[in-house]
Amino acid sequence: MNRSDIKNFLISSLDADADLNKVNQEMETVNRMYDFSDSFKDRLLEKLFSRGLEINPQIEFLRTISWAFPRIALTGVAAIILLLISIFLMEDTLSFNTILGLSESYDENIISMLTGN
Amino acid sequence: MTKGWYGDSNESDLIKAVLEGDKTAFTEIVSRYRKMVARTVKGMLGDSVFAEDIGQEVFIKLYYSLAEFRGESKLSTYIQKIAVNLTLNEIKRKKRFSSMFSQTGNNEMKVIDITVRDSEERNEAKEIVDKALMTLDPKFRIIVAMRMLQGYSTKETAEILDLPLGTVLSRLSRAQEQLRSILDKL
Repeated sequence: MNRSDIKNFLISSLDADADLNKVNQEMETVNRMYDFSDSFKDRLLEKLFSRGLEINPQIEFLRTISWAFPRIALTGVAAIILLLISIFLMEDTLSFNTILGLSESYDENIISMLTGN
Repeated sequence: MTKGWYGDSNESDLIKAVLEGDKTAFTEIVSRYRKMVARTVKGMLGDSVFAEDIGQEVFIKLYYSLAEFRGESKLSTYIQKIAVNLTLNEIKRKKRFSSMFSQTGNNEMKVIDITVRDSEERNEAKEIVDKALMTLDPKFRIIVAMRMLQGYSTKETAEILDLPLGTVLSRLSRAQEQLRSILDKL
């Protein structure tokens, strides 16, 4: 195609009823020339994944918390149950006072402990 | 699927793999769509360093928004939308910047002369397309780039640009008039 044919083709490619297959075919050589530089992909991946590293400490912290929380909670619950069992075995009751370790204390003792008299 | 090889994989497998943290799958997406993005970005911004940066931003934005992609449209359409939006933002930014330094108010259309660096690799058609696109009004430029460089139909263009079909058709017609006038001067 000479210069004038190219111009006419470009204008006609914008017709509402233009044959898109023909447009693609004729423009294929031109379209293939549009590309980014050779280093585009490497720079992009470096940017993306090094950017990822910047936010990694936060992500890692949240991930560690979500991993550790159920384990710590389960251990805590197991310890509480064991403690309650041992209190029940020693005191034969699970009242609020026994849990607080006040089952054998009388009010007078507590008041004297607190006031020092 | 073997992790690390996605040459024949379809879009949904690739997206799933990326969301599972597979970087190789994302690399495959970049390889598949980089030329498509380049045609949109470079078609509208010219062959500049800004175009490379916008191209990078397109894929970075894609990577971080892939979880929001619901698969209602093709992945290529989704990427095109990102590319078009970022490119239009860049054009607006450049326009604001240049208007700060140029107050000539000259509305006459000027044919922009693009310096062709690697001229032996380019043919005449590419040169004409580049000059014509860079001279067109940005709102027509995007319509023309979608048609000439991507081969999109009016309907596809309307979907990507979120414009009514009638608006695309009228812009296409006005773009054709402007293009004719530009090409006469080349």
